[in-house]
Amino acid sequence: MKAVKSLSDEELVASLRSGKQVNDAIKSIYRTYFESLSWHVINNSGSSQDAEDVFQEVVVNFIDLVQKDKFRGESTIKTFLFSLNRHIWLNELKRRGRALAREERYEKEHEKAGMDVSQLIADRETKEQLVNLVTQLGETCRKILLLFYYNNLSIKEILESLDYENEQVVRNKKYKCLKQLEQMISENPLLKQTLKNLLHE
Amino acid sequence: MSNSTNDMSQKLLRYLDDELAGTERAELEKQLLADKALQEELEGLKLAREAVHSYGLQQEVAAVHQEMMKEFRTPVIKISSSRRIIRFTMSVAAGLLIIFVGITVYNYYSLTPEKLFRNNYQSYELSTVRDGSAKDMSPVEKAYREKNYADVVAISFDRPFTIKEDLLRAMSYTELADNEKAITSYKEVIAKNEATGTNVLKEEAEYYLALTYIRHKEYNQALDLLTKIHNNSAHLYHGKVTNKLIRKVKKLR
Repeated sequence: MKAVKSLSDEELVASLRSGKQVNDAIKSIYRTYFESLSWHVINNSGSSQDAEDVFQEVVVNFIDLVQKDKFRGESTIKTFLFSLNRHIWLNELKRRGRALAREERYEKEHEKAGMDVSQLIADRETKEQLVNLVTQLGETCRKILLLFYYNNLSIKEILESLDYENEQVVRNKKYKCLKQLEQMISENPLLKQTLKNLLHE
Repeated sequence: MSNSTNDMSQKLLRYLDDELAGTERAELEKQLLADKALQEELEGLKLAREAVHSYGLQQEVAAVHQEMMKEFRTPVIKISSSRRIIRFTMSVAAGLLIIFVGITVYNYYSLTPEKLFRNNYQSYELSTVRDGSAKDMSPVEKAYREKNYADVVAISFDRPFTIKEDLLRAMSYTELADNEKAITSYKEVIAKNEATGTNVLKEEAEYYLALTYIRHKEYNQALDLLTKIHNNSAHLYHGKVTNKLIRKVKKLR
């Protein structure tokens, strides 16, 4: 059986920033924090499925913030993840109209204490809209854009993995795909504004 | 519609991808400062790039999430402390059982008639005599007391041996490892008692005859006698004939 190594805060952040062994870093976060964070959701009117969904969202947001250098280690990863978890779950409860006054008050007090993560992350709807837009692009566009902008492959490397005549064709295709996505976002002003706010936060 | 041409859009994208350098880059940055529409287009492309990155990240986390949930749902059998104690006790018991079985097997395969005889045989001791009676002592008894067993069996009289002398002769044959003659002598002791209806040294003869039968590999005869002694709680040697001894003789059979 493969030994499971738990990463320190520094190792986790370094791994997520560099993009190296990200999968191992994500697994380490799950193994270290899933149980305790899930407990909070389940003990605050959530189901185990809610706990899983919230945790997944917590991890996505955390990695995103680390990669954008918005997590600078002012708090421990544990504290930060707990704040994200609490915030995301409270938002979900509000969306369902089930947030209790006590929970909202707690969240406000927490924000005053300097751990306000609400401005840093997109809400669930925004993320869902983004996923829908990228999905609508079609498989080829999605693949080229992901290989270039997420997996950081060069045009030459993309040409080797996809069936195109030359690098220029790949470049043109990539341009068209990104332009198409840009137009799709522009057609949704609210989404565009939310994304802008997050990008410039 | 943007003021930028298709070429300009391509250039914007190269700028976004950090592929523009030198004067080309400086010129575009100058244009961007002056052209709001161009700024807007660049902003839109940045948002699109951000959307792709966000999508990719969500997909990657979702894949790991599935893997981890599978791992977490795999039941891990936790052993409670009581079960651990039971398991430990069972291990110890199993260990002891193995040792016991080992000893039993060893004893079984190392069991010989001679060994069984030696483990149960004890030289017959005559009671201490008073000074006055020593001069009346039979030469057989005298030689036996002096452990001159060869002399004991060599002595002959022009009279029959007494029961006591028969037993001492039998014991001497046993000491000399002459089983056949020992058996005959023990039988003589028993026969004389049965003929006269007495019980003089008969029980001693029965016990030592049984042991001699074992050494002589006449197991059935030995078992008959041993069972008889074992079943008779009043027998002098009842305590010596245990179930264990009988089992061992049966194993030898």
